[in-house]
Amino acid sequence: MIFYLIVCRSLTYAQRTAATLERSGIPATILRSPTGVSANGCSYSVKIAHKRLAGALEALNRAGLTPVSVYITSGDGSYREVQL
Amino acid sequence: MIYLDSAATTLQKPKTVPRAVMKAMYQFASPGRGGYAAAMGAANLMFQCREFAADFFDTSAPDQVVFTSNATMALNIAIRTLVKPGMTVVMSCYEHNAVTRCVKAIPDINVLIAEGPLFQPEKMIESFRSQLKQADVAICNYVSNVFGYLLPIQEIAALCREKEVPFIIDASQAAGCLPVSVESWGAAFVAMPGHKGLYGPQGTGILLCGAHVMPEPLLYGGTGSASVEQDMPDFLPDRLEAGTANVPGIAGLLEGLRFVKEKGTGRILRHERHLIQRAGMQLKSVKNMELFLAEDASVQTGVLSFRIRGMDCERIGQRLSAAGIAVRTNLHCAPLAHQYAGTLDTGTVRISASAFNTEREVDRLVEVIRSFA
Repeated sequence: MIFYLIVCRSLTYAQRTAATLERSGIPATILRSPTGVSANGCSYSVKIAHKRLAGALEALNRAGLTPVSVYITSGDGSYREVQL
Repeated sequence: MIYLDSAATTLQKPKTVPRAVMKAMYQFASPGRGGYAAAMGAANLMFQCREFAADFFDTSAPDQVVFTSNATMALNIAIRTLVKPGMTVVMSCYEHNAVTRCVKAIPDINVLIAEGPLFQPEKMIESFRSQLKQADVAICNYVSNVFGYLLPIQEIAALCREKEVPFIIDASQAAGCLPVSVESWGAAFVAMPGHKGLYGPQGTGILLCGAHVMPEPLLYGGTGSASVEQDMPDFLPDRLEAGTANVPGIAGLLEGLRFVKEKGTGRILRHERHLIQRAGMQLKSVKNMELFLAEDASVQTGVLSFRIRGMDCERIGQRLSAAGIAVRTNLHCAPLAHQYAGTLDTGTVRISASAFNTEREVDRLVEVIRSFA
C-alpha cells in the first residue's frame, strides 16, 4: 500500500498536524518516524493515504503548519523524499 | 477540617481530578518516547491539555503552552529569558519571592519598584507609567497572594505594549478565577500554577509563551525530538520540557481546567469574593482587629489578610488549627508586599477561599476567632 509520511519537527507539531487534517476530513495517524526519514534522530510523522496529499498540504498551509519534509513509501519498506 | 488556604494550594479538588491521576498512572507511559499505545495515550492526553489551555488562556497555539512543575519554575524560565545583566526591571511592590529572588540572582540588575497603596489601582497604573520609561522588562502579579489585591493588569499590559517593554505576568492567584488572555495582553510570558485555582495536583504548572519569544531553557536533557543535536530544540514546547513529563499530574490538571471552564471563572470569583466579604464584615467588630479588606470589593479576590493587635499571627494560626481550621500565617513568601503594606514586622493571617468553601465554614472561622480574640 502506498502512503505519505509528513515528517514533523516535534510530537506536539505532529499532533497539531494530525488534528488539522482530521478536522479537514483527512484521516491521519501519528507514528514515530522511520530512522531513514528522520535526519536529526527521533521525530514523529503523520501518515496519510496516497490520494490525500494535495488536500493535506492545502489544509496545513491554511493552518500555517509547515512539514519538515514529506516522504512516499511503496510499502516494501523503502522511502523516497517528495520534492514539494 | 475547614480548609481556607487555597491561595497556597487548593486541597478540595473535583472528583474527576484524582480519578484522572489514577487512570494515568495505570495506563500511560512516557509521551514522546515510543510509538506504542501507552506512550501515545500519554501524548494524546498532554496534547488535549495543551489545546485546552491554549484556548482557555487565549494563547496563539498549543505549542506555546509549556508544562512546568509549578509557577515558580515558569517564572524562572520567563525571567531568565528576558532579564540579562545590566538591565533595568520594573516590578510591582506586591511581588512574591518567586519573582524577587529570581531577579536578585541575576547580577547587576537595576530594580525599580512600582509602588501604590493597597486597593488603589489608579496609583499603580501611574507608577508603572512613570517607571516603564527606564525599564527593559516589566513584571507584575495579577493578584497579590497576601492581600488578594487585584492589580490593573490590562492597563499595565497596555502601557508595556505602548512602550514596547516585554511583560511577564505572574497569574498564580488569578488563573481559575479571572480571565487570562496572552494574545490580547501581548504578554511575553504568563506563569501560573496548576495546583491552586486550576484545581490540578501539586507539581503542575503552566508557562504560556507569547508568540514571538524564544525562551531560554532552564533544564537541559532529552525531549524525544531532534536527538542527534546537542543543543536543546529551537521549538516549543520541547525546548522547555526536558526529561519525563508529569503525565498523571497533567491528567489531573486537564480535569481541573475542565471544571473551571464548566463552572466559569466569573462564578468562581463571585463565590470566593462573597465568602471573603462575609468573613470581613463579621470580623470588623472583633476587638483589636486590623483587616485588609477593600472598600471597593471589585479590587479584591477571595483572599483576605488580617492581624489582631497584641496577638502573634503564628499563635492565631495555631488556635485556628487546633479548632480544625487551616489558614496561612506570617509573610507568605512575599516580604516585599508586607514591606509596602506596613506588615513586615508582624506578618498577617491569610484566609483564602476556593469554589468548595461554604458560608457555614466562614461563619465558623469567625466564631472561633471571636472565642480567643
